Amino acid sequence: MNRPHSLTEYIFLTAAVCSGLLTAAVFIFLLIFSLPLLENGQLTDLLLSSWAPDKGMYGIYPMLMASLTLACLSLSISFPISLGCSFVITALAPARLRRLLLSMVRLMTGIPTVVYSFAALFLLVPLMRNILGQGSGMCILTAAPVLALLIAPTMIIFFVNSFANVPRSATLAVDALGGSEIQKLLYVMIPQAWPGIINGVLLGFGRAMGDTMVSLMLAGNSVSPFNSLTQSARSLTAHIALVMAFDFDSMEFKSIFVCGLFLYIVTALLMLLLRMTTLYFSGKR
Amino acid sequence: MRRFIESSITVFSWAAGLLLTLALLTLVGYLLKKGGSTLDVSLIFGDTAPLDALMLRRQVFDGLFPAIIGTLLLITGSMLIAIPVGIAAGIYMAEYCSGRIKSFFSLLFDILAGVPSIVVGLAGLSLTIFLHRYFSTQITTSLLISCLSLALLVLPYLIRTTQTALESIDPLIRRTAPALGASRLQNIVRVLLPNSISEIVGGIILATGRCAEDTAVIMLTGAVASAGLPRSIFNQYEALPFYIYYISSQYTGPEELARGYGAAILLILICAGLLLTALWMQRRLTTLLLYR
Amino acid sequence: MESPIKISTQALCFYYHQQQVLHDISLQLPTNRITAITGPSGSGKSTFLMILNRLWEEIEGCSISGKVTVELDGRLQDINNKALPARVLRRKVGMVFQQPNPLPMSIFKNISFPLRLAHISDKNQTGHAVENALRQVHLWDEVKDRLNDDGRRLSGGQQQRLCLARALVLKPEVLLLDEPTSSLDPEASAAIEELLLALKAQCTLIMVSHYQDQIQRIADLRFEVREGRFISPHTEYKSASDV
Repeated sequence: MNRPHSLTEYIFLTAAVCSGLLTAAVFIFLLIFSLPLLENGQLTDLLLSSWAPDKGMYGIYPMLMASLTLACLSLSISFPISLGCSFVITALAPARLRRLLLSMVRLMTGIPTVVYSFAALFLLVPLMRNILGQGSGMCILTAAPVLALLIAPTMIIFFVNSFANVPRSATLAVDALGGSEIQKLLYVMIPQAWPGIINGVLLGFGRAMGDTMVSLMLAGNSVSPFNSLTQSARSLTAHIALVMAFDFDSMEFKSIFVCGLFLYIVTALLMLLLRMTTLYFSGKR
Repeated sequence: MRRFIESSITVFSWAAGLLLTLALLTLVGYLLKKGGSTLDVSLIFGDTAPLDALMLRRQVFDGLFPAIIGTLLLITGSMLIAIPVGIAAGIYMAEYCSGRIKSFFSLLFDILAGVPSIVVGLAGLSLTIFLHRYFSTQITTSLLISCLSLALLVLPYLIRTTQTALESIDPLIRRTAPALGASRLQNIVRVLLPNSISEIVGGIILATGRCAEDTAVIMLTGAVASAGLPRSIFNQYEALPFYIYYISSQYTGPEELARGYGAAILLILICAGLLLTALWMQRRLTTLLLYR
Repeated sequence: MESPIKISTQALCFYYHQQQVLHDISLQLPTNRITAITGPSGSGKSTFLMILNRLWEEIEGCSISGKVTVELDGRLQDINNKALPARVLRRKVGMVFQQPNPLPMSIFKNISFPLRLAHISDKNQTGHAVENALRQVHLWDEVKDRLNDDGRRLSGGQQQRLCLARALVLKPEVLLLDEPTSSLDPEASAAIEELLLALKAQCTLIMVSHYQDQIQRIADLRFEVREGRFISPHTEYKSASDV
């Protein structure tokens, strides 16, 4: 790299370096605040034991499981639906409907998560309560479909973009052979675009893990380990939001930084994975 | 067999599209049905005369006015911080940076973009505790801390939009001005930025939308249920998304709940409005700036 | 009648990443002549042009060795001398590309753009310079009533003449032309060729072209490049006596 040779370049450089440092600063803050807990107990203890502050146990295992379960469940609902929608938007629908659907999906990305959760709280929760016949109706099974709705637009847009990047010459070849739209999708576009599909799924998973409002408002927030999807549970993100009210010096409060740290590390790993798949597939082509 | 698979996938795809559309319509329709009737002046201003409230002559107690103002202040503050840094860093990434340093920086920004907003809020909170402990016990969570955290939340979006907008400029256009004797900075300021301004502004507006809707960051960094208008940036404040969350768990009667629906509709209107402006801008802006 | 040397290169080599694009080029280009450079695609013709105005510096991964000198304002200058800023050099060594590249702004702003880059902001002066440049490329009568139209709305031939005018507005001493007519129809090409012949009086022109007939018509001197090596000059002083 050339050495910077003008004042303006220094300004631009400073902005970039500051932004980079901020990323590191977030990590360092989380680390410093969770150190007391990390020093005290073993890391595995923290990750694998339950939450019982009155017994001096600050394990985040139930929350960890809740977050993973929620993310996987919502992803497995959202993935096929998103893929189907991206098929419709890419090829199946007539041109005008495609544009309409795409703008609808774009609009969905703009709908606040708190609004999704608010509506579901008064629409879906009573429904679940009636179906289950017991409890409050707030459980993993209530939160998952809402979370699925939340991450769908991200994935759809990602899928549609990676289909759009398939070279036109490839799709023209199918057209010239008299193939139908769905054949074009299945036999030409998916084989070419699937690295993009994987990336979309990774991003969707990240969003599902990182979302706070849906699980906070709909999953019930119980700290005890859950045995079934119809039980109340508390995700890592909701845990952070809820413990907030405690005394700043308490161990409970410090444990939320462990949650934050964990979420940060998961994000960083996801992004690394994303980078690696992208590199791997671009090297292969 | 193949034919069967093909047609069942087609049917499934259409069903998925229909399901998504129905889910969205149900959601918006439900909100409109429940909250549509609350949409009037008293939703925002309560019993206070609107003019008095706007002139800050009287406090609004039973309306959304303080929450709306709080959200607007949040948006303004965080974008004022994030825009200059984000665009400058984006220009650096696209025009000056290369090789390993570039890919290292982009990994950092990708991570920052992926960090859950509650974690960003947590970072803001820990900054507050840090400042509280070592500088002044006067420092608490406040509008300023929220703005800083939200700016951090949207920073990677701004960097990325600026960077990709600049990088996607036709190489022919990119080389034109240097061939005419433009310095690097002249090329950036006079050709490259005007050429990508619509995309950059589009990115800014989308980032604004994220600031407006985010709840997780502000619930950790200073949003409260009732604070009135913040007296300064060092005070706590009300905000629309936090109000919606608060009402959902703490409402005392149908009247308050109805106000929650009203707030949800307002927030959707704000976010949808920003989104539509972004789309409109993307068509208009290049022309506006270049033919001034 | 020999004309003085405008540009000369000595042992010039050029690399793109690890790959050597130009090999040991030593040649001399005469003043106020049209020198044509020809050869198969990918042989390094365009690269050679980009060396003469240092435009290669805008492309990542390029490096250069050897010496290139150009005579500017009566003084012999080393092109790669860092004390000579690239933008100063490029104001004296203009370039026209293969594809017409009007910037997304009005016709007037396109032409006056180089002046603004050089911080010439006098309105009167700018107006005159723009008119002169447009007259020089015979575009004035066609566009004088719509100077505020988008430059990209002109026809291909008009766009290329616009770009030529934009390169001329700073009164360069050398004009580099990278296949200036290859994207145009025959009629527009003929107009450009005519302009180039007229420009010989004030500029040294160096043109990449692979139309042999075009070279026959307007070039004074012809070099052929093959795989990054210049094959000994195949001189055709066809019109040298006209000057």
